[in-house]
Amino acid sequence: MDKAYAAALWKIVEGGATPKSAVKTLREALAARGRTGLLPRISKAFARLASRAEVKSAVVLKIAREKDEKTSLKEARTLLANESIRPSEVKTSIDENLIGGWRLEGRELLHDVSYKKQLLDIYENVSGR
Amino acid sequence: MDKSIVQKIIKEIEHFVPKTDTEHVGRVTSVGDGVVAIDGLSRAVMGEIVEFEETAGKTLAKGMDPPAGGAGVLYGLILNLEEDEVRATILGDSARVNEGMMVKSTGRILSVPSGDGLLGRVVSALGEPLDGKGPFKKTTMMPVERESYGVIDRKSVSVPLQTGIKAIDSMIPIGRGQRELIIGDRSTGKTTIAIDTIINQKNEPEDKRPICIYVAIGQKESKTARIVAQLMEADAMKYTIVVDAPASAPAALQFLAPYAGVAMGEYFMDKGRDVLVIYDDLSKQATAYRQLSLLLRRPPGREAYPGDIFYLHSRLLERSARLSDEKGGGSLTALPIIETQDGDVATYIPTNVISITDGQIFLDSSLFNKGIRPAIDVGISVSRVGSSAQTKAMKSVAGTLRLVLAQFRELEAFMQFAQDLDKTTAERIESGRRMVEVLKQRNGSPLPIEKQVAVLYAADQKFFADVATARVSEVEKSLIEFLDGQHSKELAEIKNTGVISDKLKTALNRALAEFRLAHRELFAINK
Repeated sequence: MDKAYAAALWKIVEGGATPKSAVKTLREALAARGRTGLLPRISKAFARLASRAEVKSAVVLKIAREKDEKTSLKEARTLLANESIRPSEVKTSIDENLIGGWRLEGRELLHDVSYKKQLLDIYENVSGR
Repeated sequence: MDKSIVQKIIKEIEHFVPKTDTEHVGRVTSVGDGVVAIDGLSRAVMGEIVEFEETAGKTLAKGMDPPAGGAGVLYGLILNLEEDEVRATILGDSARVNEGMMVKSTGRILSVPSGDGLLGRVVSALGEPLDGKGPFKKTTMMPVERESYGVIDRKSVSVPLQTGIKAIDSMIPIGRGQRELIIGDRSTGKTTIAIDTIINQKNEPEDKRPICIYVAIGQKESKTARIVAQLMEADAMKYTIVVDAPASAPAALQFLAPYAGVAMGEYFMDKGRDVLVIYDDLSKQATAYRQLSLLLRRPPGREAYPGDIFYLHSRLLERSARLSDEKGGGSLTALPIIETQDGDVATYIPTNVISITDGQIFLDSSLFNKGIRPAIDVGISVSRVGSSAQTKAMKSVAGTLRLVLAQFRELEAFMQFAQDLDKTTAERIESGRRMVEVLKQRNGSPLPIEKQVAVLYAADQKFFADVATARVSEVEKSLIEFLDGQHSKELAEIKNTGVISDKLKTALNRALAEFRLAHRELFAINK
């Protein structure tokens, strides 16, 4: 129930309503149904939706070492352009497990050219896993 | 390290071309009871296979370690496409999946390997080897879900599929391409009939011998192991594939196993071969599908089964066919098994499958308890298309069998109240009793068709009339040995021509008389 109300609130705001008026409409609707007690749970569900949306829209470039940032961004430029992602939208994070290369995650896409991935592919081919 | 391994690694590195494709991904938002909700994957299609990325965030060394709960890549099968998420079932250990895990789209519909390399092997519902004999030699991938052949591509059932069981081959004949349901309570001999049928295919010439696929759904591992051992002992594994989705396997695999089995069979059918697929049993598959559907929050219907439960079985059994000559003339015969509760065939799943199949073999627990085995209730068992596939020889000896048995059952009930019986009635009862004895058969001992015909011919000629009821089986056994040893020419003629000519009748009558003369002591009931 709380998830459905949170999703409805999200849609109202996405539809162009101001957050204040959207919350007011929701409060009135809940009061009319005698369900104002749901508000704290709706708030939590809304926060979850927001964080999920943030994760969904975020684009992260993972690199193994800080010094690889420039070259990785350069290499990823064509890919970013193809997916209509501006370089300024890309957040960079360090993942030492990658060993080298880079990995771009976000907007339902994954482009992995890390050394770890390539070594794992070789290992799988050799071992037949 | 072994030099060959070093060479292999060097070769692999030299020829390695890194994959630079961009993959379409989503993330697990919730996981429980073998079902995951995935955020993203907006371009996924129904029935698509997705891959769980278990190596993310791990070091290379940890990524190379086989994960706890099973080695190999972990896959999921998309079963629900919702407005803002995708629901998939995990084809493996759910404990390997956690919230936030990345899920990759593969763009592939589930398929399983098939081919001669699978013969003699025990495989999972995903086509992975389970028998520890290593990878398969040469296989072709076959889609698990495929549309069945249409009317133009099919032809009528006309070639018999011999089960080796006298009661079935004589009264409920099965043709290649037919779907014959085996139905009955627990422990009434359903699996035995199926296994005997597989074993009996050994008697077929190699070029016409059907490839057998036994699909164990929700069975105990010990039972499947026993069946495999029995098939091995009978030298039947060389033309058999066992697909095992045991009771301990996730519901998704139990639901998929019959489709995997039929997909493997279709490979051989498309090549013009005959195939026999046994689904043991579809009640358990329906239960697994109900579990999955409820977890996927699909609306429950009658007995909490989902609305498409009929389609679950109809689309599976429709894939059985006898193909036209243009399509290679192959066939796929299905023997689905359904377990009833307290002999009730009128419940939801049994009535569904009865209406889909071309007949049913009903096993009665009361007959089983009386010692009549196989415990086939001839009265309600039927084969709707098999009679056109029955050989003339069998037709000629089994024509009146059903009537004789029906009359016997009627009189048997009447006999409990009657004191004095007239001579004709008494004779009918005695003849019925002997016929019941003749039709009894031990498990694991299917009889080739020519021997069945010879025995039933003898019964039709009142050969057993002077034999004590308790000794009918013994006499029958001796008769078969006698015919096998001294009249193999006549048996071969029945097998090759499929007809009992007048000349052959005379020869058989002479053989029966010879046997009678040599074994007078067995025919001494009235003396």
